[in-house]
Amino acid sequence: MKINKRYISAFAALLLSTAAFAQVPAPAAKQSKPVLLKGATLHVGNGTVVENAAVGFDNGKITYAGPQSGANLSGYEVVDVTGQHIYPGLIQPNASLGLNEIESVRATIDWREVGDLNPNVRSVVAYNTDSDIIPTVRANGVLMTQVAPIGGTIAGSSSVVQLDAWNWEDAVVKADEGIHMNWPAMLVPTGNRQQDERLNRMKEQREQTLRELSQLLSDAAVFKAGKNDAENLKLSAMAGLFDGSKKLYIHTNYGKEIIESVNFVKQFGIKNIVIVGAGDALAVADFLKANNIPVIYSGVHALPSRAEEDVYNPYKMPYLLHKAGIQFALDYDLSIHGIRNLPFIAGTAAAFGLDKEQALASVSLNTAKILGIDKQAGSVEVGKDATIVVSSGDLLDMRTNNVTQAFIQGRKIDLNTKQKYLYEKFENKYKAQQKQVPTGATTSAGK
Amino acid sequence: MKKILTIAACLALGAGSAMAQETFPRNGVYDQRPGLVALTNATIHTDYKTTLNNATLLIRNGKVEAVGANVKVPAGAIVVDAKGKHIYPGFVDMYTSYGLPEVKRAPRNWGSPPQMESTKQGAYSWNQAIRPETNAVELFKADKKQADELRKQGFGTVLAVHRDGIARGTAALVTLADKRENEVIVLDKAAGALSFDKGSSPQDYPSSMMGSVALLRQTYFDAQWNAKNPGREQNISLKAFTDANKFPQIFEADDKLGVLRADKVGDEFKTQYIIKTNGDEYQMLPEVKATKAPLIVSVNYPDAYNVEDPFDARRVSLEDMKHWEMAPANAGILANAGVTFAFTASDLKDKKDFLPNVRKAIKYGLSEEEALKALTATPAKLLNADKLVGSLNEGMLANFIITSDNLFANDNIILENWVQGDRYKITEVPSDYRGIYTLKIGNNTSKKLKIAGTPDKPELSVIGQDTVNGKITYSGNLVTLSFTDSKKSKETIRLSGWLADKNLQGEGQLPDASSVKWSATFSEAMTQQDKKDTAKKAEKVEVGQLIYPFRAYGAAELPKQEAVLIKNATVWTNEKDGKLENADVLLKNGKIAKVGKNLSESGAKVIDGTGKHVTPGIIDEHSHIALNGVNEGSQSVTAEVRMQDVVNSDDINIYRQLAGGVTTSQLLHGSANPIGGQSAIIKLRWGKSPQDLLVDGADGFIKFALGENVKQSNRNNASERFPQSRMGVEQVYVDAFTRAKEYEQAWKNYNKLSKKQQAKTAAPRRDLELDALVEILNDKRFITCHSYVQSEINMLIKVADEMGFKVNTFTHILEGYKVADKMKAHGAGGSTFADWWAYKMEVKDAIPQNAGIMNQLGIVTAINSDDAEMARRLNQEAAKSVKYTGMSEEEALKMVTLNPAKLLHLDDRIGSLKAGKDADVVLWNNHPLSIYAHPEKTFVDGIAYYDAERDAQLQQDMEKERMRLIQKMLTAKAGGAKTQAPTNRKASVMHCEDVEHSEEESYIAY
Repeated sequence: MKINKRYISAFAALLLSTAAFAQVPAPAAKQSKPVLLKGATLHVGNGTVVENAAVGFDNGKITYAGPQSGANLSGYEVVDVTGQHIYPGLIQPNASLGLNEIESVRATIDWREVGDLNPNVRSVVAYNTDSDIIPTVRANGVLMTQVAPIGGTIAGSSSVVQLDAWNWEDAVVKADEGIHMNWPAMLVPTGNRQQDERLNRMKEQREQTLRELSQLLSDAAVFKAGKNDAENLKLSAMAGLFDGSKKLYIHTNYGKEIIESVNFVKQFGIKNIVIVGAGDALAVADFLKANNIPVIYSGVHALPSRAEEDVYNPYKMPYLLHKAGIQFALDYDLSIHGIRNLPFIAGTAAAFGLDKEQALASVSLNTAKILGIDKQAGSVEVGKDATIVVSSGDLLDMRTNNVTQAFIQGRKIDLNTKQKYLYEKFENKYKAQQKQVPTGATTSAGK
Repeated sequence: MKKILTIAACLALGAGSAMAQETFPRNGVYDQRPGLVALTNATIHTDYKTTLNNATLLIRNGKVEAVGANVKVPAGAIVVDAKGKHIYPGFVDMYTSYGLPEVKRAPRNWGSPPQMESTKQGAYSWNQAIRPETNAVELFKADKKQADELRKQGFGTVLAVHRDGIARGTAALVTLADKRENEVIVLDKAAGALSFDKGSSPQDYPSSMMGSVALLRQTYFDAQWNAKNPGREQNISLKAFTDANKFPQIFEADDKLGVLRADKVGDEFKTQYIIKTNGDEYQMLPEVKATKAPLIVSVNYPDAYNVEDPFDARRVSLEDMKHWEMAPANAGILANAGVTFAFTASDLKDKKDFLPNVRKAIKYGLSEEEALKALTATPAKLLNADKLVGSLNEGMLANFIITSDNLFANDNIILENWVQGDRYKITEVPSDYRGIYTLKIGNNTSKKLKIAGTPDKPELSVIGQDTVNGKITYSGNLVTLSFTDSKKSKETIRLSGWLADKNLQGEGQLPDASSVKWSATFSEAMTQQDKKDTAKKAEKVEVGQLIYPFRAYGAAELPKQEAVLIKNATVWTNEKDGKLENADVLLKNGKIAKVGKNLSESGAKVIDGTGKHVTPGIIDEHSHIALNGVNEGSQSVTAEVRMQDVVNSDDINIYRQLAGGVTTSQLLHGSANPIGGQSAIIKLRWGKSPQDLLVDGADGFIKFALGENVKQSNRNNASERFPQSRMGVEQVYVDAFTRAKEYEQAWKNYNKLSKKQQAKTAAPRRDLELDALVEILNDKRFITCHSYVQSEINMLIKVADEMGFKVNTFTHILEGYKVADKMKAHGAGGSTFADWWAYKMEVKDAIPQNAGIMNQLGIVTAINSDDAEMARRLNQEAAKSVKYTGMSEEEALKMVTLNPAKLLHLDDRIGSLKAGKDADVVLWNNHPLSIYAHPEKTFVDGIAYYDAERDAQLQQDMEKERMRLIQKMLTAKAGGAKTQAPTNRKASVMHCEDVEHSEEESYIAY
């Protein structure tokens, strides 16, 4: 009997994820009474710090944020967090969290659709609130993310979600807020043989892609579904780009590509453009500022792209971008599981010149502004969602990052993770063993 | 102006030759001619250091019969007057593919089914890259077109090397005469040829550089064994390998590191290779010189880059810029250092660049004598053919060139190239027209006519009321002139004529269409002044400094060891004293001299450590930086491969990691197979050679691997390569160690025999793979095993216990927390990631508390990188255990210092701050576990290889140097130099799963 191996591994994966399901904590219930956190150092997210602060919230919205002395405590359930720090929930832009469980197992991946131009594809419908990874990300202070598709020239639409939900509908903070475009590369790997032939072929391919893109954008710019034209899902999906209600996220790093891509899309009347990746942003700072284009800078924990660069160049880049007056946010792009290290991306930026509060803003308020959700999120200010992190120490330093409480829209979320569960499970095993047989204090390395 | 007429017709002056076709029957009458030619009145350079003026070269039957000033021309000799000309021995290129079939690489794609065994039929080597049975002489076919190209550059004799495979068999020395193969072959087997390139072999093994090294080393042992025990296995290849070893051995290396790598193999087998290089060896001059290897040097110089656009210019690396400038200086630098070398044209796309490039080398500092030696005597001598070619002495082949001037003069032209007495005209140069003439056209008044320029490119000016420049073209003795009457005039006078004696005369047509007779009477030769103007000024060429390593952040002067006293810092000793506040550390003679309070030392450089922290250097137990290749994954057991063979001391990540406080790294083989290769443990001594990076006297380690990579489960297609499951992995180990034990026993039995008995008994075959496994069984080599899930960890521990070996370290070990008790009982250490998980199925249960649990149970636990970026932040990765498990900060720091030192058995030398240990020390600006910390200085052996202040200076210097080179390239381009598009190289970051070897990726813009 022939057994289909792929089927078996898919089945095994299913079994495992079913087993793990029980370890994803239940989303917290709606905030039922006003809560006020007092005594902490408040890092607002907009660059300011308030010592001895209080933060009150009700019905999921912040009702007070400022000096404890100025707070009216009546009606609040007061929680003393003296000596701790309060931060806005951090936001990870440009990620496939929830679309990607096990990177090497195809069945768990939902971030790539076939075809080159997929503006109509929506990431949010594949966002899996029951991912084992999500709780581990929350536990370090990241409470929102932009779920973005990957691949092709136009990958599809992204949505912003909060990380404590029963299903993707519950999770949505802003649906289909932008379209992600991967700018066709100007730089191509040279390879060893038949370079010219290959280069020419790739050049032709690129020109072809640009022609198709040009056609798509010019068609979309004049398309009026239901009025002049029959419905076209691709063109309809792009309508928001031209009235400014949707952002266009152009993923590119090379300086010349940044200029080329922005000029290219602007001629079709696209209004809100964000550059993602943006490795060379500093080199084209004047261009970006003149065009009022913010960037999501991806490469902080990265090696310099050239040997000649300052070895710390990627670490210093947020500071340099800030100094150059470019509006920017930071993301963590090395892996999905590593998104929990987003605070340390900001910490690295702070270690290399950026003011700590500015560093915080680059993973909170700046991000919210770029994603167009700053009216409701991104900082600890009255009227915004009570999406808040409390840490016993500096959130941006792994040495002190210790999230003691976190709230999403006022709901106190469960900070447990599958990993904590496994930790306890095996710690208990060894504790039990040690009670039986005391082990020696020293060990050899096996020499 | 007309092109220089070049012809290469064989004029068949001497039909006789060195090697006649005596065995061939004739159709027609017998036509053997004497081939007796006397070249007289020439300046003859009989060898690179001897010049005879006004001498005669007499040749007969393709050989030199006599040469000298007093040679009598015998009756019957054809006399060629070579007055004013130079004669040189024909050049020898000892590295060509002349007359040999093209080598096609086997198409191999990612995911192709594996080819484990040889598909070559016959009793040959098991591996198709081992093809010593190849004799170039059997494949050789004289090739008129190629011969013509090479003759034009002055070559008369070349070594034909079939550049295919690792053991390439023998090469043949042949002349470039257009004759039957039987006649042009000088030595049928002149040299043996080797490389690390598997060439056309379609077999999987070797898939890496270190695999190639191992295969070659094993082949030496196999050939020795086969020679001693001919009855055990009939093997044509091994016999041929032994035979080929009798000749000079030529090794083709890819680059300077390849030179060192090849020489090391040669040393092991007591063979001094002659090494073919690519022209970058000046960059590691001391090491290359120390090999004592004669070199075959390429004169392939890169074109300048198009650097007008600052964006593009930025993408050209410093080393590419500097190499553009310095490549022509390579030969001079080698010669000055006393390195013996021969030139080759083999890497030139256009062979026409050869002589101009040799001249360029002279301009850049090579003496003419050394240049000529490298073209003639040296290659002849290296091939033991110096009695045949390379100079012009009696009895040698009549291979020589006739030139218009000194060979290396800029305007010199090779007029003729004689090979085996056959004359090949290379360049037809007309008489030298240059001089001042009196021009008379019809009845008009005379004007002065000046022909200047060079003989082959004369320039015309007519001096009357106005001086006008005209055009002169010639063909043999026929000449055409055209010029205007005056500067303002647009009407052209056109004259056609011929050279008669020294004068010109002929017919012409005036602008009014009337015909006219004209003459130009020679009045005087060109004045000295004019000659000087035309001779190109020999500018002194200035090139930048050599830096070590030859790339960004290299320096002409490496930082020096000095006595350093760091005062008043927080000192993390990792010793009983723990963390000392306001303490001092003294580094002296590369060691930690003292740790304590209120230290003083006269002469020591004092560094104020107030508010700063001092820790031992970070040790990365699992790294793949500084390597040319990671995986030899083609077989499930490759214990024979050694990472030390592929250490790349130029990797910029060495410097970057110093800037992250790393001082020692274990460079591991990848995880593609259950038993991988042997580790190299290096210290990050930036600027030193691969050999100098290795930690002296360190124990040997080897990589094992378990799980998904080993069973290839993340590849698209199921492979036939065993194993494909964790079940099979166990069997690989049991089988390997069973074989190793049998092998060990066989040697024990053999070694027990008396000498007499040994002489009668066949020795077991030396097997590098099993040697390494026997070392493991005898606690002489130690295992670092890539591992993830508990079942496989448990399995290997059981196999180890049964077979009698220990697993020193489980690396990655992400489920170590599940079997920590078993690891502890076995005595294994764990080296893990701080918080990686979920990137593949086998890390689904990985937890960031793993290190904490293992450490808690008393397992020696380390945090490693396996990633060139993250290695720069290992201190922060260690800090995560404080966060996730509440580990003490001192324990956490030990996980990236003392504990990996223990795992590498180097804790008696590194890993803590204690008097007598190596001065591998980091000075941090902040608490070393904090994200806000970064090194201000990183010392290795007491030398500050990273120093933030020096780094700033290096950056400035580098930027200046780049600007200088950019300007120079722009000037070169404006002067007509060839250019190329910029490419940037991005060092690819290797992980243990990278099977394909790609050291660097390069990118080019459309």
